[in-house]
Amino acid sequence: MIQRKLTLVMENKPGALARVVGLFHQRGYNIDSLHVDPIEDFEPFRFIEDELGIRFQVGEVSRLTIRTTVGDKLMRQILRQINKLIEVIAVSDEESTYLKGILRNENLL
Amino acid sequence: MKIAGNDILIQSLINEGVEYIFGYPGGAALHIYDSIFNQKEMQHILVRHEQGATHAADGYARATGKPGVVLVTSGPGATNAITGIATAFMDSIPMIIISGQVQSHLIGTDAFQETDMIGVSRPIVKHSFTVDKQENIANIVAEAFHIATSGRQGPVLIDVPKDLTNPDDLFDFVYPDKVHVRSYNPPTKPENHQVSRAVDAILASERPVIYAGGGTISSNASKELRELNDLIDAPVTNTLMGLGVFPGTHKRFLGMLGMHGTYQANMAMHNADLIIALGARFDDRITNAPDKFAPRAKVIHFDVDHSSVSKIIEADIAVFGQIKDSLQAINNHLKTKIDEIDNEKLAPWHQQISDWKEKHGLNHDLYKIEDDSGPILPQAAVQHIYQESQGKAFVTSDVGQHQMFAAQYYHFDQPRKWINSGGLGTMGFGLPSAMGVKLAYPDEEVICITGEGSIQMCIQELSTCSQYKLPIKIFNINNLALGMVKQWQDMNYDGRHSSISYEDSLPDFVGLAESYGHVGIKITKNSELKKGIAKALSIKDRLVFVDIYVDPDEHVYPMQVANGSLKDLWLSKGEKT
Repeated sequence: MIQRKLTLVMENKPGALARVVGLFHQRGYNIDSLHVDPIEDFEPFRFIEDELGIRFQVGEVSRLTIRTTVGDKLMRQILRQINKLIEVIAVSDEESTYLKGILRNENLL
Repeated sequence: MKIAGNDILIQSLINEGVEYIFGYPGGAALHIYDSIFNQKEMQHILVRHEQGATHAADGYARATGKPGVVLVTSGPGATNAITGIATAFMDSIPMIIISGQVQSHLIGTDAFQETDMIGVSRPIVKHSFTVDKQENIANIVAEAFHIATSGRQGPVLIDVPKDLTNPDDLFDFVYPDKVHVRSYNPPTKPENHQVSRAVDAILASERPVIYAGGGTISSNASKELRELNDLIDAPVTNTLMGLGVFPGTHKRFLGMLGMHGTYQANMAMHNADLIIALGARFDDRITNAPDKFAPRAKVIHFDVDHSSVSKIIEADIAVFGQIKDSLQAINNHLKTKIDEIDNEKLAPWHQQISDWKEKHGLNHDLYKIEDDSGPILPQAAVQHIYQESQGKAFVTSDVGQHQMFAAQYYHFDQPRKWINSGGLGTMGFGLPSAMGVKLAYPDEEVICITGEGSIQMCIQELSTCSQYKLPIKIFNINNLALGMVKQWQDMNYDGRHSSISYEDSLPDFVGLAESYGHVGIKITKNSELKKGIAKALSIKDRLVFVDIYVDPDEHVYPMQVANGSLKDLWLSKGEKT
């Protein structure tokens, strides 16, 4: 069990954050720390726009950083469960990134 | 043309082709109900409790494949719907729930009948929406239907503050032709490399088992599954949720697997060298102890949901996509390698399975008992129901021993005919879900196999059946106690029967049914069983409630031994493998 950092890009909609936080509780995972703010500089996220064929507008999306202490297998399960949440656009840990169903074996966020 | 929020909502449902909406009115939903009154395309079914509305919509959805639609008011109306929403969520059933909400300016003030329904339902919905302005209602409804019916299906809730359905505020109504949710992109077709790896594993296998679950039904992949079986001749087992997706009378069918699965199904899984899992999620009622599960098997897991794969049992090969698309790809690929398919090498495997079946298979001849010296066996009651309905009925069930007996002894040859709460295990599901099925298929036989415990959890819906003239046939497998709990107490608590008995306070079910205008039949002897069931099924225009008194001490077997492997089964009282 080691502490890991998860990064999410998600729609900035009412209730979206509660879905992510709620998921940790429902599935029995613990959150060590959490940070969220709106994305203002889209440059590092252009690849998401290109991959999904979308364009972000100011105020539409947020970046969320969560630290949690879990083993490898559970980490994979957490990533997949988060990826399944509608309103989450992308999620990554140190080694992989989910872009709405597309798995990449590197941390792109 | 400009119309009000309430009409936008109802017109949007009509645009989605909704035939029935199951619900119960109340303050926050009254504008919406006024809109229902003013249209003819869609029929509202007034239930007697909101749980009944959700189960009825759920039954409709399971039988037709189309989403069930529910309308409830705020506060208690919404919270009463929770059990039914959770039931649909656990079994991945498409459902749209519209809950009224207090007026926008009152939200957060603890107003009359205010509940944070988005918060309360969050863990048991696939997604939820709060209507923020009238202009967005049509889009929200379209997105809700899209999300509920695609990918891994599930319930989607729309919470509607009352002021946003006010008939005095008018807006343009344009229903979207196409829906795209940019942060939602479920897989449909599998990737080629996954398909070819799966085919290689299938060709190399000598002891394969196809393990098909509810996802195979929701993906409408029954035909593709049969085609796969025609190609590779592998034995097939179904989960409780998958029954009917492969013909129950097929020579390669092993029966259900798992907690109360057949001996041959559990043994085949335990000894397999390849498990082909189709839309099944290896839950604890299947695997028993995961570390002892099928020790020699390679696992190919087909699923539309990434998070289901390798959640419990590590998959060697994962094929992501709708089961129908994935099976088509597999079958097409197999056909290009037809020379490499050698089904004769499976002969020893089929022989082994046949020996297991011979040794400890279920006894399907209990219906032949006519002697009145012993009590009616619940298994025999189900066998008679199967015989007399020629195996063609839609069968809903509740939860407990009768549910397992129905799953074991009623052979379903078609998908969507077996309607039960598998994941959540919701008592009270059987009767209201049968109403939804009967509305969808008025000319088909719809049977509810229930128990005297479960039926009393939603028995108020007998009144709804009377109002809408729904001639369902209810078979109450009456063992005078909560049979499955009693069985566990017999086996794990030295027979201490804590709080499972209400024998002296059971209603006269025949009289109860008659008081609602239905027909009641009571059966207490083996010699009356066949005749009584046949009589019930011969009455076409009335609901018939058949109260069948069965052996109160019967247990469901086989039964997995706790924390064992799939081959560790109780076969009868005191007899283990």
